[in-house]
Amino acid sequence: MGGKCPHRSVKKRRYSHKQFRRAKFLVKGDDAVYDELLKPEEQRKELPVDEDLPGMGQYYCMHCDRYFANVTVRDEHFKTKKHRKRVKIMMGPRPHTQLDADLAAGMGMPDNGPKLMSMS
Amino acid sequence: MRLEKCWFCSSTVYPGHGIQFVRNDAKIFRFCRSKCHKNFKMKRNPRKVKWTKAYRRLHGKDMTQDSTFEFERKRNRPERYDRNVTENTLKAIKKIDKIRVDREERHIAKRMKGNKAKEQREATKELEQSIHMVKAPSVLFKEPSLTLPTKVKVLQKQSEENRMEE
Repeated sequence: MGGKCPHRSVKKRRYSHKQFRRAKFLVKGDDAVYDELLKPEEQRKELPVDEDLPGMGQYYCMHCDRYFANVTVRDEHFKTKKHRKRVKIMMGPRPHTQLDADLAAGMGMPDNGPKLMSMS
Repeated sequence: MRLEKCWFCSSTVYPGHGIQFVRNDAKIFRFCRSKCHKNFKMKRNPRKVKWTKAYRRLHGKDMTQDSTFEFERKRNRPERYDRNVTENTLKAIKKIDKIRVDREERHIAKRMKGNKAKEQREATKELEQSIHMVKAPSVLFKEPSLTLPTKVKVLQKQSEENRMEE
């Protein structure tokens, strides 16, 4: 419940912890991160300079979708258990999707009809 | 009208049921009930939760490859309405469903086939290993310490009553 805005009357959640807000809605979904990681190195864009993000958005961890203030903090993050667990998940099989759910329910692959471009 | 499948447990979501979540990258997640929605929010992986279809499929609990699965699919192209086709489809649905249910039953029967023999084997083994714990009924009468005192009384009473009836 730390993700809510601080309110004076409630002693317990006086501060809004970024850690909790991140888990709530800031972080990217697993499948989005997985797709991003599948892309080859050349296709990845250079990190844009954003003054609203920590360290101008230059120190980024792709696996955990987090920005860091500088190189040392980021490298420190790479050593943490959280990060290593996350890397392990991302190296594993593709995250569950709606298509997987449909196939598991006993449906066939979606039928999109003949491709229009191939006919011409 | 489309009957979508639940993202988490793969059950059918009927109109007026469940909840839908649209992520800020426009991906749609449908859930059949709050149980599935909550499990999604907890970031659980359906492949690791035992009651989902995804788990059962992956671990060979359910039938995986079958020709009856080819009929129900998402068709992303318009179909011109034809009364005869609709009628035939409705007829076929019943038949296909029956075949599918029969095959599923057979699959489960096949999966459970070895269980009875296995149980029998285990029971025999247990009997062999711990036969020393079983006492002959005559020994129980000789040594009252082996049985609970109250139980003996009840047994005797019952046997007396039985005799009376006879």
